[in-house]
Amino acid sequence: MTSSSEASVPAGAAKTGGAQSTRLFVRQTSGLVRELGIPAATGISLASVAVVNTFINFNAGLTDFTKSDMYLPLIAGAIIWLVAMFAYRYLLRAVPRAGGEYVYLSRIVSPAAGSVAGLGIAVVFTYVLSTNAHFAAQFTPFMLTGLGLAFHSTAVANAGNHLTSNIAIAWLSVAVMLIVAALSLFKVKIVARIIFWLIVLQVLAFVVLIGMLAFNSHADFTSALATYSNHPGAFQDIIAAAKSNGVIFGTSIASAVAIIPFMVLNYNGVLYSYYVGGELRRPGRTYLYASAISIGVLVVLWVGVWALLRARVGLTFMQAQANLSVVNPTAYGKITSLNSVAGGLGYGMILSGDPITKILFATAVPLAEIAVNLAFLTVTTRVLFAQAFDRLLPVGVAKISDRNHAPNIAITIVLIIGIGFCFLTSLVNLGSIVALQSLFFALILLAGGISATVLPLRRADLIQTPGMPEDARRRWLRQVTLVGGATTVLALFTVYELAAHSSVYGKFSWESILTLVIVLGAGPVIYLIARQVRRQRNSLDLTMAMRELPPE
Amino acid sequence: MWGKAKGSKKRGLRIYFATDLHGSEVCFRKFLAAARVYEADVIILGGDFAGKAIVPVLTENGSLRAQVGGEEVTVPESEWERLAADLGKAGLYPVRMEAAELAALAGDQAQLDRLFHGQINAQMQRWCDLAAERLDPSVRCIITPGNDDPVDADPVIAAHPRVECPELELCDLGPVTMASLGVVPTTPWNTERECSEDELGKQIDEMLAQVPSGQPCILNLHCPPYASGLDDAPELDETLKPVIRGGRPSIIPVGSHAVREAIKRYQPVVGLHGHIHESRGAQKIGRTLCVNPGSDYSSGVLRGAVIDLAQDGSCLDFLLTTG
Repeated sequence: MTSSSEASVPAGAAKTGGAQSTRLFVRQTSGLVRELGIPAATGISLASVAVVNTFINFNAGLTDFTKSDMYLPLIAGAIIWLVAMFAYRYLLRAVPRAGGEYVYLSRIVSPAAGSVAGLGIAVVFTYVLSTNAHFAAQFTPFMLTGLGLAFHSTAVANAGNHLTSNIAIAWLSVAVMLIVAALSLFKVKIVARIIFWLIVLQVLAFVVLIGMLAFNSHADFTSALATYSNHPGAFQDIIAAAKSNGVIFGTSIASAVAIIPFMVLNYNGVLYSYYVGGELRRPGRTYLYASAISIGVLVVLWVGVWALLRARVGLTFMQAQANLSVVNPTAYGKITSLNSVAGGLGYGMILSGDPITKILFATAVPLAEIAVNLAFLTVTTRVLFAQAFDRLLPVGVAKISDRNHAPNIAITIVLIIGIGFCFLTSLVNLGSIVALQSLFFALILLAGGISATVLPLRRADLIQTPGMPEDARRRWLRQVTLVGGATTVLALFTVYELAAHSSVYGKFSWESILTLVIVLGAGPVIYLIARQVRRQRNSLDLTMAMRELPPE
Repeated sequence: MWGKAKGSKKRGLRIYFATDLHGSEVCFRKFLAAARVYEADVIILGGDFAGKAIVPVLTENGSLRAQVGGEEVTVPESEWERLAADLGKAGLYPVRMEAAELAALAGDQAQLDRLFHGQINAQMQRWCDLAAERLDPSVRCIITPGNDDPVDADPVIAAHPRVECPELELCDLGPVTMASLGVVPTTPWNTERECSEDELGKQIDEMLAQVPSGQPCILNLHCPPYASGLDDAPELDETLKPVIRGGRPSIIPVGSHAVREAIKRYQPVVGLHGHIHESRGAQKIGRTLCVNPGSDYSSGVLRGAVIDLAQDGSCLDFLLTTG
C-alpha cells in the first residue's frame, strides 16, 4: 500500500549493500490507482509500430528510390525517435496524463493549439485504423496461401483468389474492425496483455525468419524460389528481367537519406505509451523503459533481418523483385507468384519446410494489424477522452464504463467512423485526399518537439525539482530545451524530406491540402464554438479545464 | 445560435475541492496554487492528508543511506534537503536516524506510532504555515480529516489562524452551509476514524439537524454514498488481496449506506467525497450533485473539482480537474 517506489533518486546517489538494511515503516491505510506497468506499456509501443510492417516499408523504399539500402535509414530513424523519446519523457513528467500532444500543446502552448492536435489526431488515427484493417484484408489471400501450404489444402490456398474484389476487401476490413471492437471491450490492462501476446507472435515470426535466413544458404534460397515458382532459374530470370526493364542496381547515399522518412514512419508509434500516460504506473520511468526497450528490440530485429536478407537473398534480387513487380507485373507474374510486398515473410514462407512456421508467417501480418488497431484504438479513444474531459467534446464521451473501466462511448464513436472509412478506403479512391497523411504524422512529431522546447520557457514550474540549487536548475531547464530543440530540428528535417519527395510521400494537390487544412482547422473551430457555448450557458470557462497547476 | 443562457443567476461562491493527498508535498503546493489558477473563493481539502510511510535515512560516516524507489541509495550528507524533498513529493516522511535508533524502532510499535503522529502533525503545521504564506487573504482554506488521519492532527489545524478545520461542525460559506465528517464505515484496514453505519448515520443527522430551515447546505463527507459509481473499489479477501473473478479483479461498491440515505433525505446542493481514489466522477442522487475527484497523489498529480454556487446556494456548474 505504500508509495515509496514513487520517489526519484537524487543525482549522485549510489546503490549500496550496507551492513544494516534500511526499510520503510508503513501505516495501514487505504488506497490504489494506476494500472499499466512496463510490459503493458512496451506492448502498446511495439503494437503501435507493427513489427512485421517493416517489410512493406522496405519494399516501398526499394520501389520508390533507385539504389536503395536500408542500413542508414533504419539507424537514422531510430536515432530520431531516441532523441524524441527524451523530449516526450520531459513532457510526460510535466503533464503525466492521457492525451499526448493535445494535452501538451493545450497546457504548455495554448488551448487552441492543443485543439489543432487533438481533433487532428483523433481523425487521422481513426482513418489509420481503417487503413490497417484494409491492409489486413488485402493480406488475406497471402494468409490463405500460406495456410493452404501448411495444411496441404488447395481449397484453402485458392480461397484467397475469391477475396480480392473491392467489396470483399471492404467486408474483410469491417470484420477486422469488429474483432478489434470486441477485444477492446476488455479492461485496458487486459487489452494491453492481448496486444503484448500478439507482439510476441510477431517477434517470434521475426526470430524464426532470422533463424531460417541464418541457417539457409544463398543457394538454398534460389533453389526454394525455383521450386515455389515452378520456374528453374527464377532468381536469375527476375534480375535479368528487371535489368531489361531499366531497373538500376547498387546503393547511394542520396537514396538512403531520401528513404529516412520511410523509416521514421516505420518506427512511428514506438513512443505511443505516452498517450496512455494517465494510466501508467510511475509514468516517467515506465514510459522511458518501455520506449527504450521497444526501440532497442526494433533496431536489433530490423537491422538484423535486413543484414541477413542482404546476405542470403541479396540486395540486387530484392531491388529487382520490388521494381519489376511494379514496372512490369506481367513479366514478374510469368516468373513467380511470390508476393513481392510480403518481402522477408514471403522468403521465409518459401524457405519454410514445416507447417508451423508457414502458419506463423502467413498470419503474422493480419495479427500485427489487429495488434496495431487495438493500440491505435486505445490511443485514439484516450485523445477523445482527454478532449471530452476538458469539455471540448460532449462530456458523455469521457464517461468511463463501470464494467470495463474503459471509455466505451469514445470507443464506439471511433469504431463507427472507422468502419465508414473502411468502406471508403475499399470502394472509393481516397489517394489524393489522404496523400498528406505521412506529413501529418511528421507534424505531430514536430508538435511534440515544439512543446518540449518551450516547456522550460512557458511552464518551468511543471518540471522543477524541489530543493534543486539554482545553477543546477538552469542546467536542467537548458537540457530540456536542447532535447526539445533537437527533436524539433529532426522533425523539421523529416517534414522537409517528405515535402521534397512529395511524389513518393504524398502529392500536394488542392484535395490533399484542403483535407489537411480541414483536419488541422477543425479543432480550433470546435474549440471556439465549445468555448462560446459554455460562456453562454455555464459559469466555468473552457480554458479552466486546460490549466496546469504549478507546484510552486 | 449559442443556446439559452442559464438563467440570470450570478455566481456567489467558487469552491475548489481536493482530497486524499496522503502527505504529498507537491500535491499540497498545487492545492494552494489552485486558489489562484481556478479563481476559487474557498479551497477545501477533504480528508486523508496524512502520509502512509516513514523512510528511515541512516546517517553513516558523513553519508546518508535510504530506500528510495525500491532501491537502497547512498548520498552525501549535503544532499539531505534534496533527498528529503524528493521523498516528500511522493508523500513519504524521511527521518534521519542512527543504526541503533532504527533497530530499536523496528521492534517498538508504540514508538513508531509516536513517530508517525509527530511527522504527520509537523507536516500539518508546515502546510498550514505555507497556506498562510501563499494564499491570498480573501481565500478561505478548509482542511478536514479523513479516516486515515490521526485524531490528534485536528487540533494542530484548528489552532492555526489561517486554516479552518470544521470537523463534525457546520461551517458558513455564504450562500451555503457546509457540514463535514471524515469518519467512514468500518474498513478492512482498521484505520483511525471508523464506526458502524448506524453510528455514522446518527452523527450526520445530528449535524444536519442544526442547519437552519431553508438554508441550502453542502455535505463534505469523506466517504462516498453507496453504489453511486463514486465508490467502486476492488473486492478484497480476508488477507486483503484482491478477489479475482473471471480473470480480473472483482469491483464492488464500498461506499456508505448511511451517507446515501442522508443525501436522499436532506438533498443537499452538493456532496463532496473522497476515500476511493480510483472512483473519480460526478453523479446525481436526486437533486444532489455528488463529486469524488479521486486521487493520484503518488504521481504528483492533483485531481480536484471546481464547483460554482449561485448566490441563492444552488449549483451553477462544476468541472473535474487534473493538474
